Order: sequence, then C-alpha cells, then structure tokens
Amino acid sequence: MNSPNLPVEKKKKVRSPLSKEKILDKLIQAIINGDEAEAKKVTEDALAAGIPPLDLVKQGAVKAMDIIGEKWRKFEIFLSHVMLAAEAMKSVMAILLPKIGAEQKSKISLGRMVLGTVSGDIHDIGKNIVATLLSVAGFEVNDIGVDIPSKDFVEKAKEFNADIIAMSCLLSTSMYFQKDVIQYLKDVGLREKYYVVVGGGPVTADWASEIGADGWGKYASDAVTVCKKLVTGNVRPPLPKPILIGE
Amino acid sequence: MGMSIQVLLDVLDRAHTGPVCSVKDWDTKVIPGKVSEKLSEHGLKGTCTPENPINTDDGLADEFWHAGFELAVDVGMLCLDTERVIKFTEEELKEAIRNAPSELILGEGLEKVLMKARKPEDKTLPLYCAPIGIEASENLWIPLIQGIAQHRVIDMIQGCSLRTVLGRQLRSGTPYETLAGRVQAQMHREALWRAGRPGMCATSVITSPTVYGQLGGYGVPGGYRTSDLALVLSPAELKTSYVSLHKVVHAINCGGPIFGGSSSVIGGYAGPVEGSTIAMVACALLQIAVHQSGWGSCSVIDMRYNGNCGRDAQWAISVAFQGITRNTRLLTQSVLNQVAGPCTDMLLYESAVGMMNLSASGLSFSIGPRSAGGKYADYISPLECKFCAEVFKSSAGMKRVETNELAKGLIPKYEDKLRNPPKGKSFTECFDLKTLRPTKEWLDIYLKVKKELVDLGVPLE
Repeated sequence: MNSPNLPVEKKKKVRSPLSKEKILDKLIQAIINGDEAEAKKVTEDALAAGIPPLDLVKQGAVKAMDIIGEKWRKFEIFLSHVMLAAEAMKSVMAILLPKIGAEQKSKISLGRMVLGTVSGDIHDIGKNIVATLLSVAGFEVNDIGVDIPSKDFVEKAKEFNADIIAMSCLLSTSMYFQKDVIQYLKDVGLREKYYVVVGGGPVTADWASEIGADGWGKYASDAVTVCKKLVTGNVRPPLPKPILIGE
Repeated sequence: MGMSIQVLLDVLDRAHTGPVCSVKDWDTKVIPGKVSEKLSEHGLKGTCTPENPINTDDGLADEFWHAGFELAVDVGMLCLDTERVIKFTEEELKEAIRNAPSELILGEGLEKVLMKARKPEDKTLPLYCAPIGIEASENLWIPLIQGIAQHRVIDMIQGCSLRTVLGRQLRSGTPYETLAGRVQAQMHREALWRAGRPGMCATSVITSPTVYGQLGGYGVPGGYRTSDLALVLSPAELKTSYVSLHKVVHAINCGGPIFGGSSSVIGGYAGPVEGSTIAMVACALLQIAVHQSGWGSCSVIDMRYNGNCGRDAQWAISVAFQGITRNTRLLTQSVLNQVAGPCTDMLLYESAVGMMNLSASGLSFSIGPRSAGGKYADYISPLECKFCAEVFKSSAGMKRVETNELAKGLIPKYEDKLRNPPKGKSFTECFDLKTLRPTKEWLDIYLKVKKELVDLGVPLE
C-alpha cells in the first residue's frame, strides 16, 4: 500500500547566529555599498544580538568610512558613491548615537558643523564634496544647502549646536557674503562661539585672512585637515591667524 | 538665429509638470545610475587612454555620441527650483538639433565674423573669444579689455567679472549686480572703441551670477546690444534653474541670440572620465533643447586639480566633441581651463595642448583663457589671450594623429604641477599699462614657447 500523501514535517532550518565579525562585515559592506536600508537593518539586528553600540561605531561605521575615504583618494569611486555611503553611515549613527553615553559620544564625533553655499550662489558640487569628506572623516555635518542668506548660517549653527560654520562659494561676487557672515557673528556677539572656515573656486588664503576666517583649504580634501586642526587645537575662535592648508 | 516662444513655453511647462525628482536623488542615483548603464551598454568602461590624450578613433567618438544622445533622451535636465525633470522624446531632441544653426554671423560693421560648424581636422578657421570671466579690478577693466581687443586674431570679447561697481563691493543678487550689468556694458563699449573695434561681438553679461546683472545690462538702452550673445550658464551639467530660464526669457524678450553652457566634472556626479564624457555630450545637446542655445556647448573640469589640461580631461574633450561634430552640423563651443598664471611657460604649454585639441576635434569656437585657474583677481593678460587664438586658428586642418603626438610631448612639461601650479604675475606686473605691451620677461617666455612649437611643427606664423 502506498503511503498516504500526508504532509511531511520539514525540519526547520535553524539559522546559526552570525558571529560578531560577520555582522560587522555586513555592516561595513552595507555602508560601502551606500545601501541605507540594509545598513539600518544590520544595525538593528546587531543591537538585538547584543553587540555594543560603541563597537558597531568603531569597528563598523568608522572602518567602512575609512575604506570609502581611501577608495575616493585613489579615484576608485566617485562623488555620488561617496555621498550615498555617507548617507548610509549617517543613518547608522542616528540609531547608535542615542544609545551611547555622552562621554563616549564626544570621542566618536570630531565635531558638529553647518555647511552651505553662500547667498547668490547655487553651485553645489564643491559644497557636496566637502560635506561628504567631512562626514567620512567623522564630523557631524548639517548641509544647509545653496544660496543661503548670511543670517541663516548663524541661525542654523545655533539650532544644530555647531562648533564650525563652513561656507562654500564659486562666484567671486558671492565671496563678500562670507565676510558678511563673520561680521554678523561679531555684531550679535557670537564670533567667539563658532570656528568659521571658507573655501571655493575664487576663495584664496589671502581672502580668508582678510575677512578674519579661522580656516581655509585649497582643495576640498584640505577642509578635513583644517577642521581637524581647529577642533583639536586649544585655541577658541576667532583664531589670531587662520589655518591655511595648500597655500 | 530664430528663437521660439513655443519652445520656451514647452520647456517652462515641463519644468512645472515633468517627473518629480529630488536634487539628491538626481545626484546620487539618476545621473550615476544612468551614466553607468550607458557605459556598460556601449562597452565604454575603461576606454580612456591617457597615454594618447587626443582621440584618433572615429568609432569610439561615435559610440560616445550615441551614448550621450541616449543619456540626454533618457534623463533630460533637472530644474532645481521645481525639482522636476524637463524631458524630451528622441524625435523632439533630433528636431532641436536639426533646427539649430550651422553658421552664424556675429558682431557688427567691420567686426562681423562668420561662425561655422566644423568637423574634426577641418581647415575652416574657428573663432576665439577672450577672456573668460576672471575677476578684474574696476580701474584695470578697460585697459585690460582694450589690450585684448587690440589683437585682431581675437574675434569676440567676453570680458572680466567686476569685483566692485562704481567703487562699491559687488554682491551677487543685490541691486549692485543690476547696476553692474549696465556699468560693465558701458566699460565694454569704451574698451572696444579705444581698441578701434566697436563692432566686436560680446558674450554678455559675465557679471551676472544671478539674473539681475543680465536684466540690468543686456538689451537695455546703453547696455549690451541684442547682436551680442546672451549668456545662460547652468549650475552643473544636466541641471537648470529659474535663474537660467529667466535669462532665456530675457534674451527672447530682447531678440538676442543665446549662448548656453556648463561643465561636467571628472570624479563628480557622472563618475569616471568616460562618464563625464557622455555627460558632456548630453549636456551640449540639452543646452540647445532647453535653453535654445545657438550651439552645443559644454566643458569639463577634473576635480583632482580643478582644470582640464591634463590627459584625462583632454581626452574627454576630444572624444565628446569629435562625437558631436562628426554626427551633426551643430556649432560647438568649449572652454579650456588652465591652472598656471600669466608670465609662466606652463600657461602657454597648457594652452597649446588644449587649443590644438579643440581645433583638431572640430570646435567652432572657444572662450578663454582661464589663467591661474581663474582664482585670482587681475591674473590675466592680453598676451596669453593672443597666444590661445593664434594656436587655435593655426591648428585648423591639423591631423589628430599629429596633434596627439604633440600633446604627448608637451603634457609632460607641466602635468606634475597641475595640483600646485605657478601663480605667475598679475596684469599690472607683466604689462605696461601705458603702452599695453607685455614686459620683456613675459614677451621672452611667449617667444620661446612659440619658437618651440614652431620647431615641433605647429604651423604658427
């Protein structure tokens, strides 16, 4: 007699939990691929599996961004890819930072900054490159966009509790607005609160010195060096002489 | 060159009703994704040959043309203000290309010039317009432009950007900019009159970072004439904005011809050099369809040194424009972005390579030079403008194989200095303002490089 056609109880596959190393690898890969949804999912899963948030930051997100930075320097990947990776990293950090103590948090973030292109100028690529490189380097960057009125830089800096105000511009006729922001900071008594860095096509070291900025870099990648020096130095703003890289 | 109100309305309507796309998605997904797709479909990945910086392969140029045309149809142009895409069908884009002129008379009176569509290695002389909008001090503006216009080898004048207007700091988007448009037009006329060439065509208004300079200076009584070209520059390749579209409307209101243009960035949204090359083709075509530009115009910047006289960028320019000029009868324009300053031999070597390439690749005209990368006020002089025009025109008819060999010999003279180029000397340091002649030092450099080029076989007089 044929055996009746009864449903056979299939053995459930028990997925063995991934090792911490494998989870971290998955996180790194998701960030490198710029896959924001996957990066968030892996982060949530990792937390559920009991991996400490600080480990996910240091051994996952930071490591991924180091790899991205290196590939960018070698011109193996390009701006859009780096921007996506930076976005994925930001979304991971948004999950992890609230779970990390204030003391540890200050060790992870190099600093907080608002960054935008000044009034009358809608060019964004230089600003986007700098914002991305600073994010990759470990700064918390609030990109406030293009054609930003002078006062808005200050208001956004207050809201974001920024350490640094960074201003980009490609047009020589918009450079004066960099000066206006610094003057506005002085007029409202806030110049001592924020470092101010400037950059862009026509922006020179001489201009940065003339308007009393705290930092300037010749190339977008120099912005990272400038900002690191500012936040790790012991001098509060305004600096007596700006940090100038690539002069 | 007729411009159509119907085309304008279609574009404005599409800017309001086209598919929605955020700027972020455009930059990080749409452009890189579609460019990568086109590179794969056409087998163009890794085709750049830095060891041969000027392309000699017609088949490759044609493949980039096809990929660029398809990119233009597939993605269109994003309007930044509405975050909607202005798209065209294949037939619409072809019609825009068909309707664009193949020749154009520019200027007035004795200074009229005929711009013609060219092919690679064409013997037809291209036209040169100088200088590009490097910032200049108000008190030097007229002698500088007079010094440039006095050289008859230069056909058109763009002028420099003003740093101040009537002594006041010129901030973009403010009423100072509106005033600057009119003031610059007056200074422009004065400089051309002094040079004895009042009818020269201008590309205007260069001091118009927003729309106000254009409104204040173009087509108004005493301003730039409607026989001058109205500049409509886009903020990035494959993007437009209401600032650009306002300028289009104003030019149409005034009945003036439109000069559109933009730059692609190697390493930017379109990715590697091959991606930027496709984007250049698409950008040049969409300038015609969206902005009713009289020609296909686009340039490229290599973000590693913010210029385009290195191998990759020269290759991109050669391939993109050989593709366009071989497959259409469009007028074409591109810009050379040098990084060395006046009174340096590097500026002349960069210029020689770039201008030979533009000429041999079939460009109808070019605007430049961008001495010292355009970074420093007053770092521009009439001598390098003359040199660029001389090389550009004398190279007409040169074979690309020959041009490539010359470029291979000249690029090593400066390529290791592209990231840290010599700043050189300002106009007042390398020119005598009374005689409008170069200093002996600058003239000697010019004569030395010119002799070197002649010895290498460049047919300079």
